[in-house]
Amino acid sequence: MAEVNMEQLLNCALCPNMCRNECPVLQILGREAVAPSGKARISAMIKEGHLAWDEAMLEATSNCLGCRGCTIHCPFPELNLCDELLFTRLTAKADGVGLPACEPYLNNLKKYSSPYGQKTGVVVKPDQGAEVLIFNGCTSLANNPASIEAVRSLLNRAGVSYQMIDEDCCGYPAEVWGDKELARQLAAENNRKFTESGAKKLIINCPECWSTFTRRYPDWDQQVPLEIIDGPTFFLQLIRDGHLQPTQSGLPDEKIDSGKKMVSYHDPCIWARTAEKTEQPPEILQSIPGITVQEPFTSGACTRCCGGGSMFQLSFPRTASAIARRRLEEFPEGAVLVTACPFCREGLFQDGRPVLELVELLDRACQ
Amino acid sequence: MVDLIRTVLQKGQIEQTLIDQYARETAEIVGKDNVSVNRADLLSTCRDYWPVNNVWMVEGAVPALPQLVVWPQHTSEVSRLLALANAKKIPVTPFGEGSGALGGVVPLKGGITLDLKRINKIRFIDHENLMVTVDCGMNGALYEEELNRAGYTGGHFPQSLRCSTVGGWLSCRAAGQFSTRYGKIEDMVVSLEAVLPDGTVFSGRSVPRTATGPRVDHLMLGSEGTLGIITSATLRIWPLPEKRHLASYTFEQLEDGLEAIRLFMRAGTRPAVVRLYDAQETGNHFPELGDKRFALILLIEGSAKIVDAETSVIEDCVMGQGGLDEGVEHVEHWLEKRFNIGVASMLFQKGAVLDTIEVTTNWHNAHSTYLAMQQALLAVEGTMLASGHYSHVYPEGAALYVTTVGFPGDHKLAYYKKLWQAAMEAAITGGAAISHHHGVGLHRGLWMAEEHGSGMDVLRKIKAAFDPHGIMNPGKLGLEEVREWQK
Repeated sequence: MAEVNMEQLLNCALCPNMCRNECPVLQILGREAVAPSGKARISAMIKEGHLAWDEAMLEATSNCLGCRGCTIHCPFPELNLCDELLFTRLTAKADGVGLPACEPYLNNLKKYSSPYGQKTGVVVKPDQGAEVLIFNGCTSLANNPASIEAVRSLLNRAGVSYQMIDEDCCGYPAEVWGDKELARQLAAENNRKFTESGAKKLIINCPECWSTFTRRYPDWDQQVPLEIIDGPTFFLQLIRDGHLQPTQSGLPDEKIDSGKKMVSYHDPCIWARTAEKTEQPPEILQSIPGITVQEPFTSGACTRCCGGGSMFQLSFPRTASAIARRRLEEFPEGAVLVTACPFCREGLFQDGRPVLELVELLDRACQ
Repeated sequence: MVDLIRTVLQKGQIEQTLIDQYARETAEIVGKDNVSVNRADLLSTCRDYWPVNNVWMVEGAVPALPQLVVWPQHTSEVSRLLALANAKKIPVTPFGEGSGALGGVVPLKGGITLDLKRINKIRFIDHENLMVTVDCGMNGALYEEELNRAGYTGGHFPQSLRCSTVGGWLSCRAAGQFSTRYGKIEDMVVSLEAVLPDGTVFSGRSVPRTATGPRVDHLMLGSEGTLGIITSATLRIWPLPEKRHLASYTFEQLEDGLEAIRLFMRAGTRPAVVRLYDAQETGNHFPELGDKRFALILLIEGSAKIVDAETSVIEDCVMGQGGLDEGVEHVEHWLEKRFNIGVASMLFQKGAVLDTIEVTTNWHNAHSTYLAMQQALLAVEGTMLASGHYSHVYPEGAALYVTTVGFPGDHKLAYYKKLWQAAMEAAITGGAAISHHHGVGLHRGLWMAEEHGSGMDVLRKIKAAFDPHGIMNPGKLGLEEVREWQK
């Protein structure tokens, strides 16, 4: 059971924060209470009994995207402020304090096992013999079924037998919104289905789900019974093994400015900083002929968040949108944006600018 | 429940009905989303990085609390907010990113804290005249990043770059690590825009120099929010340097290093970075150099031909004083680690009090002031370390930056006060100026009268003229006594 690490929390609370320029929430809101040390100080004082929760404090400490941008320049290698804030916030519910804005989504989770409500994009492909189980994640199911179709198309093309199940939300949103018991229930139900599937490998395209399965399930005593593989690594291996062979740019001509087939890749913060998957997506892009890849101003482990982490698009939609617009300014003019996260795709999809998930581009390139 | 939080230095508050009225009228100006009375906002803007704030925080205390936090987004809003506060005689404390080290943002008399971080854009880059006009609330690192993307540097790299604002730099007369080439922040100012307590907005002309009487806008430099609020500045910028040369040397004596620097500054060179460490800091920062010699690190940048010429002159001066070439890797190491100050948090949790005290010396007393301050700090019971380096140099002298660590047991505040008393007495006796770039805030106000002499009365008259009701950042710059802290 993860507990707040008071020493690490205080390291942040006592620090002037050389990370402030990399905290997207602070830079958008300009509000001291949401600065990393602002949140850490509130959390530390609550933890020490000097303060009691109120809605504004919960709202301030919830203003963390989990992007770990604050770790880029952090002098404390063991500090993960996002986790410390998450663990501290879990005590708010016991004090009867919650965020009203999140209640409808929590209710959706309880009723439909998805924060988005009735699962409309459910794709079930029972195949008891297949050792690969694809976990799509509720955000792709709700917002971008095309990416799931792309995954199916790629797997069929590569000759991979796979399963898709009637998956429940991974549970992370429940914990973010303070209901750890609900998170654990969702985890248990997913694990039951994983076991029943008979699959051996769990392929995950959503970095939030990947992070939850690998980092949070063990903490909830819900170890995933399958080998977990992230999507970028899995699809890159299919390319390296020759099972997928991109033959064209895959870019729709009508979305290309001036005929230039320029692509710019947005590193999702979890893939880049938590999973350290910064080399796989560029290698996938390099395998696609006819495109030019141009990096945004920040990339790789120094990438900046799209505003979609920690369910911000539901909890704090205005802030999420403002952060996304700020991130969009870092991309070269005229480039088609590609990313590998359903939250990032959703966030960056502003003003009609084309945004593709990596699997969508790869699928088009392989046709 | 704010009443659980002890306020240590609070000097009263404004009547709540007046604050409520101000809040309603303020919401009309800035919108209700930019006004807050919630505890999270009051608690987070009531302090800076003054070390005693951390002592209080772990005890569940804060120095003092504002009664209202407001986020203006434009100069015109600052003007209306100040005029309204002035009419009601409500204290106003400006707040940037809270990196100050001397309690400069503590709202001693309650009232309003203006968080300026939402005024945060680069307004205009003037490519032909090499100037930028930037808002006061812009984060320092983001300012430099945006200039870099346009092909320029602002040349200002304080250790707090990522946790301070442009307005904070100007208000405290900040210095960056590259100041020998680019200057302190006041050297970079072409003009300022500021708001007085009565709401008057004024700005200087963005021309190279003038001879039209005193530059009124420049009066705001270093005023730490006591005269009004700086809302934007037009600053000098430089094209990104064509060449950068790194070098490090060690000397047998600290005085040899000082003499080498004096000579190459006298010769007219202006390397960006010049840092000379005492033996203890040499051992701490560059262990492979040992702790018996004195390290000098240099960074020279600019146009390639000028860099080459400066390098040649500097090498002659350094070698002439017995400097040993130690290569570039120590400078690369410093460049990589120069913003890392995590040790302060870690030592604090082990019971230590760590602080840094910077003063300005001329060449004739640069070494003697170092010795005197070190001796004075080590004489305070509980002090374990007092080391120093020269962090910024000029043709006339150098800034001396002293770091001290002590383990005073349960008497942290008393120790802290003794430490500063000892350091300031040594500096004043030795003829140094009591601050080079951290500013005054609340704490260093105790020595402002000694620093300025009769000039302090002039400063008080200026304060009275600009801020007759005394609403602006009360208790700072030594302009009034703060007995709660002095006793």
